[in-house]
Amino acid sequence: MGAIEGIITGFEVALSLEGILFVLLGVFVGTFIGMLPGLGPISAIAIMIPITYGMNPTLALVMMAGVYYGAVFGGSTSSILLNAPGISGTVASSFDGYPMAQNGQAGKALAIAAISSFIGGTISVILLMAFAPMLSSVAISFGPPAYFALMLLGLTAIASLSEGSTVKALISAVIGFMVATIGIDPQTGTARYTFGSTNLLDGIDFLIIALGLFAIAEVGYLIINRHKKSMTDAKQLGSLKLSKQDMKEIAGPSGRQSILGFVLGILPGAGATIASFISYISEKRLSKNPEKFGKGAVKGLAAPEASNNAATSGSFVPLLSLGIPGSGTTAVMLGAFLVLGVQPGPMLMGDNPDIFWGIIASMYIGNVFLLILNLPLIPYIARVLTVPRPLLISLVIVFSLIGVYAISFSTFDLYLLLAFGVIGFLMRMFAFPAPPFILAFILGGMMEQSFRQAMTSSNGDISIFFTNNISLVLIILSVLSFTFPIIKSMRQKKQEA
Amino acid sequence: MKKLLAGSIFAFMLLILAACGGDDQAADEGNNGEPQDWEPEESIELVAPAGAGGGWDTTARMTAQTLTEEGIIDQDIGVVNKPGAGGAVGWAHIANQGDSPYDLFVSSSPLLLVPLNGQSDYNFEDFTPIANVIADYASFAVRDDAEWEDLNDLFDDMKEDPSEITVVGTSAPGSMDHIQFIRFAREAGVDISQISYVSDPDAGGVTQLLNGSADVFSTGVGQIVEQIRSEDIRALAVTSEERLEGEILSEIPTAKEQGIDETFVNWRGIFGPGDMDDAAVEYYEEKLKEMSETEAFADVRDNYGWDEMFMGSEEYQEFLEQENEVFKEILDELELSAE
Repeated sequence: MGAIEGIITGFEVALSLEGILFVLLGVFVGTFIGMLPGLGPISAIAIMIPITYGMNPTLALVMMAGVYYGAVFGGSTSSILLNAPGISGTVASSFDGYPMAQNGQAGKALAIAAISSFIGGTISVILLMAFAPMLSSVAISFGPPAYFALMLLGLTAIASLSEGSTVKALISAVIGFMVATIGIDPQTGTARYTFGSTNLLDGIDFLIIALGLFAIAEVGYLIINRHKKSMTDAKQLGSLKLSKQDMKEIAGPSGRQSILGFVLGILPGAGATIASFISYISEKRLSKNPEKFGKGAVKGLAAPEASNNAATSGSFVPLLSLGIPGSGTTAVMLGAFLVLGVQPGPMLMGDNPDIFWGIIASMYIGNVFLLILNLPLIPYIARVLTVPRPLLISLVIVFSLIGVYAISFSTFDLYLLLAFGVIGFLMRMFAFPAPPFILAFILGGMMEQSFRQAMTSSNGDISIFFTNNISLVLIILSVLSFTFPIIKSMRQKKQEA
Repeated sequence: MKKLLAGSIFAFMLLILAACGGDDQAADEGNNGEPQDWEPEESIELVAPAGAGGGWDTTARMTAQTLTEEGIIDQDIGVVNKPGAGGAVGWAHIANQGDSPYDLFVSSSPLLLVPLNGQSDYNFEDFTPIANVIADYASFAVRDDAEWEDLNDLFDDMKEDPSEITVVGTSAPGSMDHIQFIRFAREAGVDISQISYVSDPDAGGVTQLLNGSADVFSTGVGQIVEQIRSEDIRALAVTSEERLEGEILSEIPTAKEQGIDETFVNWRGIFGPGDMDDAAVEYYEEKLKEMSETEAFADVRDNYGWDEMFMGSEEYQEFLEQENEVFKEILDELELSAE
């Protein structure tokens, strides 16, 4: 069966009455769960898996895919309004989204997030449909040396993420690295820094750290500053309407970052988080007003949002065409496939064109549904901020606790969440930036593993990082990305002098 | 606003309720079966010590489904996921349930390997094996254009210089993916302490195999069928006693027929707490045997590519002791053992 016929089959599935209903159901559940602070696509998919037992596999999977990208779509809401990201992919969205909401532009921020998510989702589905059969070779093109170099490139963002003291940013990043080493080391099977506790063997879940450092720390900050005037003023929601100027500002980053996000999403293991961080810093570098980033820049929100949604579609490439789960979320997604007796892999497109193309075709409809569902709800959702502070703060705490408990049903994790909340609060008091911590934590684990995988297979020869083309290019880019701000500031000084 | 808030909280509570549902109902449904020494009088909890969608979860759900739908056990059976630390979190949970005959769980080889690695406070001796229900097998795959024609070719090269060849698996050294390969390499006479093994929990071994970062992928045979069908990779051997059934599977030679006298079964079965009452063990053993023989469960096995492998409690206990000895020897040789 040719690709064209496949695409037609796909649309037949997606546009059938049941198809439309299940897409709608999937994106609705996904986006609703995704919006709740602390809950993301993993919880959403896991909640839905038992429901699909015995369902028609094609429709069930179209629905599950909808749950997945729906949750990513809605995930930015809690980052923007409450600084409480539910998935790693939306951490970068809080850098500018949360300040924007605090400045009385909550409605606008949510609208920007929804529109750029829609752009990211749609552009990536077009790319997915056009190139899906060829893309599996991209997915396997990255060996351990290339992954290491990619993580290195991501790390150069630390310099851009720091406001104020670079030394403090670096200290924060180093601690993030150290925390990433907790748990069983996959290369030796040795338990590191677990102090004999079974609870720490799996390492610390990303969500615990993100919610601790962002949401709980923010709660602490709000409590001690409760009498300040600025705190009580944040109740205006601002207009939802985006001006022409705003649309113009969104268009560029959304377009560019959708493509970048999609490509990074294809790589198993890289995914939405790294895509959103790299998108954020590349927009900051491209911007004429980089100093606005971190204080509510439109581009700073549009870029990671377009990117993480595009990466989500991208992650379907290794999942569908190779049967490889590239992230915790796609691993649960793979589980959903297997539960329905469908084995994704290189033969899926030929054997089950209705499933393969049905999922892809349904994403167009799903993205449109998501936009239609989300835009009219924004005024209501944004009103969360008008909830009296004491009530809102307690809700954030409760939802953070629920979100963390839902990962592993372990009370130990709840104590960890509170511990990271205290750490985050202290960091904030002493002006240590949290983003470098979280970035180093996300990248650190993978960076260490790919470094050691590469060194094991080269028997300890470090030249493996320079003989591989992809890794060489990425290392050169990292060096450039790292030295660029230094050169820039030196030039500025010269000009001033 | 308040309505919306109340609405979302309510919806959320519903979700939570849905997630925990099926536990507390039907506690006193009639005991209309044949007379037994012991019968469950309340609902049963079947723990999958892993997240939703994995092998343990699927086994637990399918077992629960078949037992109830076929009317073999009248009580409700709720499947509960206790993920974490390769199973250790779930096992610790069961160990804390005392001798309750209503707390069962699913496990397989990691129940032996994880404690041997020192990563679980509880091992198989802390639990009661009730019955093994299914088996699947491991396989060793190479790229389709690799130089090795069969397993002996590969092991011959490894005997010359084991470090030249990189073996990849999803899990850490000392866990199943690693040890299943070591068992065969050891039998063939390869210096197992020199084997270079990498673990790739993120991107998975297939990627590393296909892009040439690794040479051999050690994994469950079900995981690679699609790549074999698409002729991207070849399986050098399957670890079962005899060839498996099925279109692609039957073409994979066993290690045994290639002259390497070793097998590896990834058995999966149902366990209970340590001090479980004998009558209860007997009850479940019988019911699981009945389930294993139903058509419905045969369909389940076909659907997921599992093999039938029923062992009753006593036989299972002996089998586990033997397997544990073999694993312990290997881990000692690799210096991965906890003691």
